[in-house]
Amino acid sequence: MERIIARFVGELRDCGIRVSPGESLDAVQALALTGIRGRRSTRQLLRLTLVKNVHDMPVFDAAFNRFFSRFQFPPEGDIPGLMDAAIVSMEGEFSTMNLVESHHDDEEPGPLLKLDSQIDPEDLQELKSLTEIDPDDSDGNEIVVQIKGHRELAKAPRPSRRFVQNPLTIDLSQGLPQERGIVFTAEEQASMQDVVSRMMLRLRKDMKRIKNNQNRGKLHVIKTIQKNYRHDMVPFQVALRRKRREKPRLLVLCDVSFSVSHAARFMLLLLHTLHNQLLDVRSFIFNRQLAEITDLLANLPVNELMRTIDEGDIVDLDENSSYGQVLLDFKKRFLENLRGRPAVIILGDARNNYDEAQDWVLEEIREKSRYMLWLTPEEREIWRRGDCVIDTYGAYCDKVEVVKTVEDLSLVVEDLLLDMYADQAHPLEKKRQREKEAENEQLDYRGYYSRGVTVASEPAFDPSGRSHW
Amino acid sequence: MITEQGVKEFLHQGGYIADDAIATAVFLALRMEKPILIEGPPGVGKTGLAKALSASLDFPLVRLQCYEGIDEGKALYDWEYGKQLLYTQLLRTQLDSYLSVSADLREAVERLSSEESLFFSRNFLVQRPILRSFLSEKRSLLLIDEIDRSDDEFEALLLECLSEFQISIPELGVIEATRRPLTILTSNGTRMISDALRRRCLYLYIGYPELDREIAIVRAKFPDLCESLARQMVEFLRKARELNLRKPPSVSETLDWAQVLSILKASQLTPEIVANTVGVIAKHQTDLQKVTDLAVRELG
Repeated sequence: MERIIARFVGELRDCGIRVSPGESLDAVQALALTGIRGRRSTRQLLRLTLVKNVHDMPVFDAAFNRFFSRFQFPPEGDIPGLMDAAIVSMEGEFSTMNLVESHHDDEEPGPLLKLDSQIDPEDLQELKSLTEIDPDDSDGNEIVVQIKGHRELAKAPRPSRRFVQNPLTIDLSQGLPQERGIVFTAEEQASMQDVVSRMMLRLRKDMKRIKNNQNRGKLHVIKTIQKNYRHDMVPFQVALRRKRREKPRLLVLCDVSFSVSHAARFMLLLLHTLHNQLLDVRSFIFNRQLAEITDLLANLPVNELMRTIDEGDIVDLDENSSYGQVLLDFKKRFLENLRGRPAVIILGDARNNYDEAQDWVLEEIREKSRYMLWLTPEEREIWRRGDCVIDTYGAYCDKVEVVKTVEDLSLVVEDLLLDMYADQAHPLEKKRQREKEAENEQLDYRGYYSRGVTVASEPAFDPSGRSHW
Repeated sequence: MITEQGVKEFLHQGGYIADDAIATAVFLALRMEKPILIEGPPGVGKTGLAKALSASLDFPLVRLQCYEGIDEGKALYDWEYGKQLLYTQLLRTQLDSYLSVSADLREAVERLSSEESLFFSRNFLVQRPILRSFLSEKRSLLLIDEIDRSDDEFEALLLECLSEFQISIPELGVIEATRRPLTILTSNGTRMISDALRRRCLYLYIGYPELDREIAIVRAKFPDLCESLARQMVEFLRKARELNLRKPPSVSETLDWAQVLSILKASQLTPEIVANTVGVIAKHQTDLQKVTDLAVRELG
């Protein structure tokens, strides 16, 4: 029995459930106590001892069924039938794999394609047909061709055409659960939960320290007397008045157009997880229109929210994104009543589809904000290609960062939150942090992306010095 | 010797309808002497299970309500400073005569320090819930309620207590539990509890009960409520739980509602009755409207 349990525990670990040796010992002990009396009770028993998290329960149930069906019912009798079924399923898998492989093989390692997981051979056909329109350009790779073609066509192809024209895309993506695009799997949510909770843990520790330092106000006489009652009123322990601390505000503008959908979904998930945990967050999404989703984030489960966004109920996804329009709209509707000097995060690739940049609005937003951060999922090398205006926008931001994974994103946001808290921290704490930063300066390559580099005439940005401006 | 079926039966006698998972967990906790960590939405009977167990097993209930900032002085033990001060004041004359025998200061200090343990003895130890349950003569039931409200430090503090059932007090040494209490921790999941603590416990998730069990729970608490009404209201509440309310009605709301309905001597659910008593099941203004709408749709 121990061996079976050990193998089962191994299986669980393969599925991503963390089981310690102590817990497997518990399971064996528990089984010894009750004896094995049937599938149901055994499953309950193992679940009680081995699984310590609600989110792991479905995974456990699936693993249990898989594992113990293999052990209990060796396939006997209808072997040919089983074989047939196996072959059919294998073939199915094989053909899917073929498709996947083919579309990976065909894929040029171009920047746009890399971002979008939903491109398949037919899209490439479409791109190639663009080459045929303009044979002179055929020496470049597909991306350049697409951009050139795009410039010549007065209007860019609408993003959703892909889906309308190629029903196969949808079928294929449904066949591949990991590339479903919009719906978050349980693992993704769990891993985000994990990342966020680790982040919160780290943040909370730092904030406690900062907060303690913040409390250095005047002496709180009554509390001091109460506290030192046990010391015969000799004030060994001093209680200080707490200074009022403002809750940091955060304002997020998130591009949800197709070109950044991959990064946007993680941003939205992060927001959803962060919401109400720590901060006062106001969230907006935009494509060509702008819409506030703060209430939706608070009330809807994340997958439902994603579906609503994806169906274009909030902003029309059939349009090409236009940052200029959105900024104007933001100024008109929201900038007036922006309170409390929030930190502003904008997520997007700044691909403006050759529209007016309207970058002066950013200047105004910047005046009303504590800190402005631009997150882009694209590598720095390709910023200047095509319709990207990030250089124009980046000049107004305190920092431009490249984020590609959940970890990147959470690190950036964590840095930002710490900065925000440190901004309100005790002067001593600030000084200490400045010193620490000066120490790390040589090692910190992230400064490379700060606007001091992008715009040579501007002074290099120093986040800790911001408050002295 | 208790079996799982026995657990179920004696819980039933205590007015708590348990399902198999709960019975197994309690049985294992009793036999393996491990704590149970119970998670689940509010109001499904996590604390209720502890109370029912304490009543039916006749274990005295020791309850520790967690909150932010709880520390060992509130949970484990504390020294009674006031009493210590009082004793030194009262014993001053005795101390004078006791120390006057010694020739010089050094000797006096040595004499005094040999008696030091007098002031750090169990006489001056205030037992807080965990220590009290460890030292209780009878096997007790230790309920650590809403552990997710406490801080990480406190969670770490619990690790020793829960795995070894002992408390280290620097002045006295290690105090071991005379009888290991049956320990139940509850959490509403507002904060992730560390894996270290989870590892030391059996993990039980109590969700909303199945239809039949919920009806049985209502019938057990309010035997005079007729079967058909109980079924009707439970079915209605199950639908209400799927409405995506801000605070979905839980088992405690079911019981409150059952009580209200039995006071009103209702024999059948109608939209009017629901509209009049909606405050019992929905606890937010936006929820009120949704529930009354549901009543019109389902019962009208």
